[in-house]
Amino acid sequence: MTRRRDMIFAAAFAAALFAGSVAQAQSGPIRLGFSMSRTGFLAQAMPDQVNVYELWKEQVNARGGLVVAGGARRPIEFVDYDNQSKPDVSVRIYEKLITDDKVDLLLAPWGTPFHIAVAPILEKYKFPMVGNTAASVAVRQVKAGYIWFPTSAIPDRLGVELVALLKTQNVKTAVLLCNVLPFSKEIKTFLEPELKKAGIEIKLNTEYPPDVKDMTSMLTQVKQANPDAVLALAYPGDSVLYTKQAKELGIAAPFQFVAIGPSGSSYTAAVGKSANNIVTIGHWAPERSEWPGAKAFNDDYVKRFKDQPDYLNSALAWMSLEILEQAVAKVGLDKEKLREYISQTTFDTINGKVKFNGVENAITPTAFLQIQGDSPKLIWPPSIATSTFRPKKDW
Amino acid sequence: MWLDTLLSGQLLFSALVTGSLYAIVAVGLNLVYGTMRLLNVAHGDLVMGGAYLAYWSLTLLGVPPLLSLWMIGLGGALIGLALYRSMFRRLLIASADPGRVEANSLLLFFGISILVQNTIAWFATPTPRAYLYLDDVYKLGDTAMTGNRIASLVTAAATCAGIWLYLRHHVVGLALRAVIDSPLAARIVGVNVEQVHRTSFVLGFASASVAGVLVSMMEQFSPFVGFPFSIAAFIVCILGGLGNIGAGFVAALFLGVIETYGIALTSLNWRSVLLYGVFVATLLAFPQGLFGRRVRS
Amino acid sequence: MNSTAFDALLWTALLVGFAALPIFGGDYLVGIGLAAAMWLALTQSWSVLSSLTGYVSLGHTVFYGLGSYVVVVTWQQTPLAIALLGAGAASAAFALLVGLPVMRVRGPYFVILTFGLAELVKYSVLALEAEMGVSSRLLFGAPDIRVIYGLMVALAVAATALRILVDVLPFGHGLRSLRENEEAAETVGVPVARYKLFAFVLSAIVPGMVGGVMAMRSTFFEPIQAFDPTISVNIILMAVIGGGESARGPLLGVLFLVILSEWLWAKAPQAYMIILGLLLIVFVLKFPRGLAGWLADWQRARR
Repeated sequence: MTRRRDMIFAAAFAAALFAGSVAQAQSGPIRLGFSMSRTGFLAQAMPDQVNVYELWKEQVNARGGLVVAGGARRPIEFVDYDNQSKPDVSVRIYEKLITDDKVDLLLAPWGTPFHIAVAPILEKYKFPMVGNTAASVAVRQVKAGYIWFPTSAIPDRLGVELVALLKTQNVKTAVLLCNVLPFSKEIKTFLEPELKKAGIEIKLNTEYPPDVKDMTSMLTQVKQANPDAVLALAYPGDSVLYTKQAKELGIAAPFQFVAIGPSGSSYTAAVGKSANNIVTIGHWAPERSEWPGAKAFNDDYVKRFKDQPDYLNSALAWMSLEILEQAVAKVGLDKEKLREYISQTTFDTINGKVKFNGVENAITPTAFLQIQGDSPKLIWPPSIATSTFRPKKDW
Repeated sequence: MWLDTLLSGQLLFSALVTGSLYAIVAVGLNLVYGTMRLLNVAHGDLVMGGAYLAYWSLTLLGVPPLLSLWMIGLGGALIGLALYRSMFRRLLIASADPGRVEANSLLLFFGISILVQNTIAWFATPTPRAYLYLDDVYKLGDTAMTGNRIASLVTAAATCAGIWLYLRHHVVGLALRAVIDSPLAARIVGVNVEQVHRTSFVLGFASASVAGVLVSMMEQFSPFVGFPFSIAAFIVCILGGLGNIGAGFVAALFLGVIETYGIALTSLNWRSVLLYGVFVATLLAFPQGLFGRRVRS
Repeated sequence: MNSTAFDALLWTALLVGFAALPIFGGDYLVGIGLAAAMWLALTQSWSVLSSLTGYVSLGHTVFYGLGSYVVVVTWQQTPLAIALLGAGAASAAFALLVGLPVMRVRGPYFVILTFGLAELVKYSVLALEAEMGVSSRLLFGAPDIRVIYGLMVALAVAATALRILVDVLPFGHGLRSLRENEEAAETVGVPVARYKLFAFVLSAIVPGMVGGVMAMRSTFFEPIQAFDPTISVNIILMAVIGGGESARGPLLGVLFLVILSEWLWAKAPQAYMIILGLLLIVFVLKFPRGLAGWLADWQRARR
């Protein structure tokens, strides 16, 4: 009796599998597809980006939708799938979005490896996509054409600009701590020679694996070295660890740089006032009056999510959406027209003007933020700064 | 100067904090895996659950972690009891051979793991969470100690000591050790094996939840980062000798020592290679763990 | 029909299915087929060691990762065929190197040891790359997905053939006997240590090549992602779901989990993980001996 029931169950299951087909309407809303790491160990980084996507969708639909080629507005809807923090699943998703779901537009996933992995697919299907949260010298090796990277936080420029900033503060000695993951390691590759060129003495130079749990012995050495600057090339997880343990040991260097993490609100939630005067990577702040919409974006995000946006990732996500929206408004949904337009036009974004030279953003300068009080301020370069550097005096 | 560092109180404090955390994270797994051969791959997710409960207790109810950990531990115990009654008792009876029990438990706990992770993510979003509690730094001579790390060390040590004493002196505790040693012999001498299994589950889940509270005081956490805690727990249990609770404590402290002193002697570069290298080497030299007993076949 | 005929039909149908997929299916379906072929290749290879000897490996991703690394490091410097064979050879060599001491450890100690070994190799590769100043490696000019698919199906066939072959050879009987009682097997003359080592090495070859092929699929190599522990866990999951004593088990487990995951993920993108978790729990309580076990019961009842 139970076996027959099992058979029916199995048959129904199989039938349901083949019965489900996707019926797509071609008119009506514009469909935008993307993949996100909703599960897996990268899921913790994703809200900064996907929240921005959601916010944008709500605002666009409240306006009636996206303007298409100067004509009527069409509302938008998302088609998104979880890539389980795996780049090859993400690739499959984009293939599905293009060939199976047949979406009108694509939005970028989170993270450098995911962007790079999807580039060949975009090339193959001639489908343009504006990237955002990807920063690596490797992006220059991606064939120009169907993907663009608006960030200015490219490691080689970071090395040059950071040393320039250090020189203005008369830094003579530094300590270099580096997570061996790709982005931080890349920064180090370019930072080390720049430091040597500037005559800044590197008193300690260590790397560490991403799953480090205790930095006490390393930080004891740092304290003994007593440098002017601590350059912690850390990822979000170890940036919190560094800050907490540096506070415990009372590391007194006036210039403390923590590469990734402090631009987001979960960092300040984790370390409180220890975050004060920590320098980090970022090229956006809401206070620049000549950047249209910067303050409004910040206020809208805070109102909607009861949290500050990440000054790096959230800003980049929004910029990529602004670029897409402006492009669609001008030339519609035709992929070749979009590609041409995005490649050649100067866009107005919450981060000022953006123009692409190949895959890279040629206008936005490589910049740094410093947490002052309760939010990060731009302190470098002087052309876009909203404040000036303050030495770290306490924890 | 290097020798000063090595002999410093600072490193000792760090080793103790890290080691005691490893110990309390692992003890629950040692009980469940050791007595019943159930592969609890959800263990780390239970720790995360405890962390989130502590977070919500503080931010939503205003109850500080050192108070809420009692309730959270109790909550963990009740969840353990419920899971045992609803699923695992049936599993232990239904599956004919121990190999199948182990395999099925992997599946069951894996399902539970997915459920726990995604339920937390549903409620809390995957954004990393943390809170500030007892984060002033106290100095004892040259040694600086953050308040919440002191609290974690004391609580973890006390919990482990409590479990240790229970196993040594309480009737059910002794029965538990008997079951770990030889389930058949225990049954023959009249031990109520089911009661022992129930107790293991309850203690296991309770200690995991309390460990989570301690983790939440000191680190950032998010729904999908429980796996490293599961790994750490397995490593500690196996290193010491499966089912040997006391040996688990020693193994945990040993790992804490490597994490601090081992690094001080080599370099932070080698942290993970050292940790896993020592683990593999030790097991190759001592195939049943440092204090292992014969593996029940 | 009897068991052997059923099996023959099963494998033929499967092969036909795999062959037909790229002809009738778009890139998306081929991607699913690729995933299925990959897991089949991995799980069948794993079962040569773990199902037959009872030594459950939770570290099989180490072979996958090593194979990936070999292909990535020799990219565009050696012909692909050589690189892939090299990937398999490197994995086998590693297994040979560590096999004897590793397989003196038994039961749950072996399980966690293999896990620790995989992590050790992962962090060693990470440290090695860091020493060389490399942080990640990109592969340009990777072959089309259909080529990758073809390679993976070939590997799945090879792994399945290996499993079926080992099943019927005296070697396989020897492995099973040492699973029952290692000391007794040794007494009756089974060369236990040598057999264990051989099984370990055999189970490493195909996963190495699978890793090499998949490196071309993701085109981005980074040690933390290449030596992903969830690969090891998933293999065991599929083997347990499949259950059974033969090559049938992994096949059923792989098909079930891959089809179920894909279907859930496409139909209920927001809740699919929770549903998957619930289904796994229900599955264990309903099919405590896996799909193959249930199938065997069903077949027996029909006779």
